[in-house]
Amino acid sequence: MTVDMTTRFGSLTLKNPILTASGTFGYAIELAHLTDLSKLGGIATKGISPRPRFGNPTPRMCETASGMINSIGLENVGVQGFREVKAPALAKIDTCVVVNFFGETFDEYVECAAGLDLVAREVGGVHALEMNISCPNIKKGGVEFGTVPSVAADLVRACKAVTGLPMWVKLTPNITDIVSLARAIVDAGADGLSIINTITAMGVNVRTRRPRIATVFGGLSGPAIKPIALRMVYQVARQKLGVPICGIGGIRTAEDAAEFLVAGATAVQVGTESFADPDCGARLVDELAALGAELGVSRIADLIGTLETSFEPISPVDRR
Amino acid sequence: MDYVLVPLAATIPLAPGTFVLRFAGCGFLEGTLPGQFVMLRGADWGTDPLLPRAFSLLDVRPANGEVDILIKASGKASRLLERALPGARFSLLGPLGTSFPAPAADREDWLIAGGVGLAPLYMHAQRAQAAGLARQVTLFYGGRSASDLVMLDDIARTGCELVLATDDGSRGQRGRVTEAVARALAARPPGTPLPSLMACGPDPMLIATARMARDTAAPCWLSLEGEMACGIGICLACAVPCRGRPFRYTCVDGPVLPLDELAGEYALARQGAV
Repeated sequence: MTVDMTTRFGSLTLKNPILTASGTFGYAIELAHLTDLSKLGGIATKGISPRPRFGNPTPRMCETASGMINSIGLENVGVQGFREVKAPALAKIDTCVVVNFFGETFDEYVECAAGLDLVAREVGGVHALEMNISCPNIKKGGVEFGTVPSVAADLVRACKAVTGLPMWVKLTPNITDIVSLARAIVDAGADGLSIINTITAMGVNVRTRRPRIATVFGGLSGPAIKPIALRMVYQVARQKLGVPICGIGGIRTAEDAAEFLVAGATAVQVGTESFADPDCGARLVDELAALGAELGVSRIADLIGTLETSFEPISPVDRR
Repeated sequence: MDYVLVPLAATIPLAPGTFVLRFAGCGFLEGTLPGQFVMLRGADWGTDPLLPRAFSLLDVRPANGEVDILIKASGKASRLLERALPGARFSLLGPLGTSFPAPAADREDWLIAGGVGLAPLYMHAQRAQAAGLARQVTLFYGGRSASDLVMLDDIARTGCELVLATDDGSRGQRGRVTEAVARALAARPPGTPLPSLMACGPDPMLIATARMARDTAAPCWLSLEGEMACGIGICLACAVPCRGRPFRYTCVDGPVLPLDELAGEYALARQGAV
């Protein structure tokens, strides 16, 4: 049985629900010789700021049990560099390009959204924006913009005012009440939610008595965080806020991806696993299709939000 | 550069904890230059260790598509590699990064190797031999004790001069390998052209080499090690402070970088001393 893999994500139609996550796939074009980019449902680029940034001191990364902690510092080429070098190449790839962006100040966020809107209209290679209000690795902005619902809502409203592109917002898990935050952001006009970014974490080297990354705290990603990500996606999804969710956190198999769909995500992003296997995203497209067939769905979207939480004596499988 | 799943052909133990992994089906790595590396990950590793590991190649045998990687078991991944069985499958991504400059008739190369940092410098010695330039090359090779010094017969076969040093004096000169280099530098008659220093090994050894090169103005290339997730310029973890721009990346701009491109205090910064 062939499974229809297309997924409606707000106003966008994705050829399948597998995207690659920001910060783990560069600007995608660097990986064109290692994987078939056109197989992907979409690509979320490295986070773009109004001007280029040069990142944090080293060491910037350490591996932990089934995960890694990073504090890269959002190094990127800036809007102009993106426009000149990256966007023209991205425009030639047959997939949905979601440009992740951020600023250090409120005004910088708006400036960046406006700049990328211009890139989309004049160069192409941009189908949606993903506002990063959740990176733990920059001093200003980042986490602060992402933890106070009213601030986040103002930011979304201001950025929406300068672009007609679909606006996804990437949420931090480093917050007590993700539902209130999600609701405020959706009320402010967000078109999609990406859940979750990395979890604040640290590592210690007992031989040197130093933190394992230079900024002491960094963001934990990888399979270690998948159960937390799944929980947060479900917490938000069951509120039925009216916008699609892109599930992110430790996805490395088709089963992982399907878990997020069942929990209520409309699409997913593969992150850290792309470091271990740059072909992971493209591979998961085929594997998810096979899993869909095994699960007996004709459209992969039929899995979305099908979590059955009441533990009745008869299982949903028997009932079918 | 290619990304291929290959079988382990053999494990060749050299000393306790030090071994060579030989992989088959690696024709795509033909032409790999000394210093260039691969990202290696066991297909059966599951989620821990999670990330692939970077290794410079020790030897490439294009005739039968085999490559050798020299490893010292020290962490979780390298201990798994030590126990891997023939036939086990690994993903190999490479060849990646930069290489040491090719041996040249008008240049004398002093290779400085610490422990398994031998790998790219052994390959450089082989390259010199193939070019008929072995007499231009001296390999200074150090370890903590005699058991750290492996492949001595193979090195001898390249025809390059070999100077050994061990911290405990159990083989070769007593002390750090860089002290042996310093003595050899000091013993040169005045006016002799300076050799080029090419080093691969632990950070303290690279730092000592960098200082010698700075003090004598000898040309110098260092093969750096940096914790990296991807090996291909995506994760941006393996940044090194450089001249001219804030950072270069060990994976794509290195691992072999000329010393004069590295920021002056690069080595100290990596040590956490500044």
